[in-house]
Amino acid sequence: MSAASETLAKLRRQLAERFPTAPRTVGRALRTDIPAIDNTTGGLPLGAITEIVCAAPSCGSHLLLAQLLTATRATRTRVALIDSADSFDPSSFDEDHLAHLIWVRCASTTQALGAADLLARDANLGLVFLDLRRAPEADLRRIPGPQWYRLQRAVEPTDLALVIETPRASVPSAQVRLVLNTAHSLPALARERPALTLELAPTLQRQRQSAAAAG
Amino acid sequence: MFAVLHLADFPLHAVLRTERGAASKPAALFSSTSKKSVVLAANPAARSHGVELGMTAPQAMARCPALLIRSPHPDAEAEARAALLAIGFTLSPSIEDTAPGICIADVHGLDPAKLEPALHRATAELHALGLPVTTGLARTPLLALYAARCSSLNTQPSTLKFRSPVHHVADEKSFLSPLPLSAADPSPELASIFHAWGLRTLGDLHALPRDEIVRRFGAEGLAFWNRANGGTPRPLHPVTPPQTFAAAMELETEIETLEPLLFLLRRFLDRLTLELRASQHVAAELHLTLKLEGDTQHARSFRLPEPTADVEILFRTLHTHLESLSTAASIVALELRLTPARPLVRQQGLFETGLRDPHGFAETLARVSALVGSDRVGTPQLEDTHRPDAVKLIAPLAVVPPPAAAPLHPPLGLALRRFRPPIPVRFGTDDQRSYIWSDTVRGEIAAQNGPYSKSGDWWQSDRAWARQEWDIALADDGGLYRLIQIGDAHFLEGEYD
Repeated sequence: MSAASETLAKLRRQLAERFPTAPRTVGRALRTDIPAIDNTTGGLPLGAITEIVCAAPSCGSHLLLAQLLTATRATRTRVALIDSADSFDPSSFDEDHLAHLIWVRCASTTQALGAADLLARDANLGLVFLDLRRAPEADLRRIPGPQWYRLQRAVEPTDLALVIETPRASVPSAQVRLVLNTAHSLPALARERPALTLELAPTLQRQRQSAAAAG
Repeated sequence: MFAVLHLADFPLHAVLRTERGAASKPAALFSSTSKKSVVLAANPAARSHGVELGMTAPQAMARCPALLIRSPHPDAEAEARAALLAIGFTLSPSIEDTAPGICIADVHGLDPAKLEPALHRATAELHALGLPVTTGLARTPLLALYAARCSSLNTQPSTLKFRSPVHHVADEKSFLSPLPLSAADPSPELASIFHAWGLRTLGDLHALPRDEIVRRFGAEGLAFWNRANGGTPRPLHPVTPPQTFAAAMELETEIETLEPLLFLLRRFLDRLTLELRASQHVAAELHLTLKLEGDTQHARSFRLPEPTADVEILFRTLHTHLESLSTAASIVALELRLTPARPLVRQQGLFETGLRDPHGFAETLARVSALVGSDRVGTPQLEDTHRPDAVKLIAPLAVVPPPAAAPLHPPLGLALRRFRPPIPVRFGTDDQRSYIWSDTVRGEIAAQNGPYSKSGDWWQSDRAWARQEWDIALADDGGLYRLIQIGDAHFLEGEYD
């Protein structure tokens, strides 16, 4: 652990001791049933941001979304999908796996960030999925850094996992960053989806240490 | 025992409570808005500047240039009266609407130990509603009214010092003795005769023999004697609790901004929720109508995710809608109606996954709808057709149903990430190789599956559709796409992801 990380962990421990009543979801995670994610990060951290970087076309980001819908459907946890480019295709998914989904069809990246800011504070949701995969590059560059930290602050006191899908690493406040960098080939379209899901192997690029873990 | 809620200068306070901050400014009620109209009532701030009853508007303005001039407003008085009665119903089911600004409650059934705290609470609630009432508690309605009037700052004689807005008359004789004769409303003739006799207080009158008063002044003298003694207990003319929950007001000054509108709606809701609670109801729906200048109106209904009588939740529902509303003209009248419902009394199941905070959820969705459009938020539902991209959005379910059994044949391949609208591409072949070109995606097709022919609604000429589809892999970026051909044109419908 670097000196900076140690200092940060120490500071977090002190804050946790001083404000014991502050809501913390440190250490808790939403299990995805994707071995490559659950075995490395323990799932998607609750009360924190997970960034999924889609570094290649057809890398399986919607495959991941489908699996998250399946996992949350089993526990009847509500999910909000903020679709910045209105690209979600419900007919690609099992209809029963959409019963707990709230789909927000945005017309711009600004709208998507505004909606995320509202939904990330809602106590009724277990997962908020902000899809910026097809957001214009210029829009992503224009998002000021404090906006991402504002989202982090919004999600911290909640019990939900905020997943942000981006075409390149863009979220400085992400606790976990996973990179999907392998494109699927044409024969994958004829294979069963559960088998493809199990083969998803995102690379862990960042996992910030939480206060609890550090302590 | 009877309790009286009394509001001196009722018409003035009824008008002032509809404007934020007006109650703390010098204000007077005039008979009309013409120059010849005279002061009917003035609040303490105006009186401290020398404004007196009967003055004309120019005279009053000369003494107090900052004076707020208001005229009687029947809608505002009806609203204030309803608020007074609503609080009255929190004290007793048997209340009487005796006169404007006077509500008598029969509180015989109340535990004496809880009586005064309840009256203090009711008085404080009315103060919060902009109605600075005083309260009297006594053996008879009349005595309680005297006590309430004496507690009123405007009518309190200098010899009486009741500091609390609630006055309990325990010792009737010592309470009545220092009161002026005018407290018992003598006729002008009687008042002048008693004044000539040197009688100034009710105590002076009590010192005279009752039979002598009756012998000299007959029935009128007896009635006054009885009033001077605080009257006797009488049955009240009970008010029926409201069956409909609505508030409406024609505005003297048009509303152009959000703040005064919200202030009025808050006043409405404060009263309506009191009435709801008193009748053991909750609100299931809100109906708001804003009448605009030019005989147009904006009407909107709000179905609450869970019926409630919580004023904060109801107000937030309206606030969320109104802060994103822009009307074409200013507002000249408004009406708010609540649909009552019986409160839902049940225990949440151990494994039930209803909403943790239904009102918070509704508000979040309303805010998101205001941001992206109300038709662009909801739970997707597939339509019963093979037409591509046939999906509609429905309101999210209050309870997520249990999951269905897993399908026998799991779905195949990757999900499609749609391009809406599809991207037009040029398609060409060269030496056994195929290419596509568009502004965003281009390259050689490395592999392809298809074509797959699809069509539907062929029996309806205006809805018939037909297309051919290919799944393609591009050599350059390795992406998988769906290429479609409609007529002679080619499009990329989406990326498999």
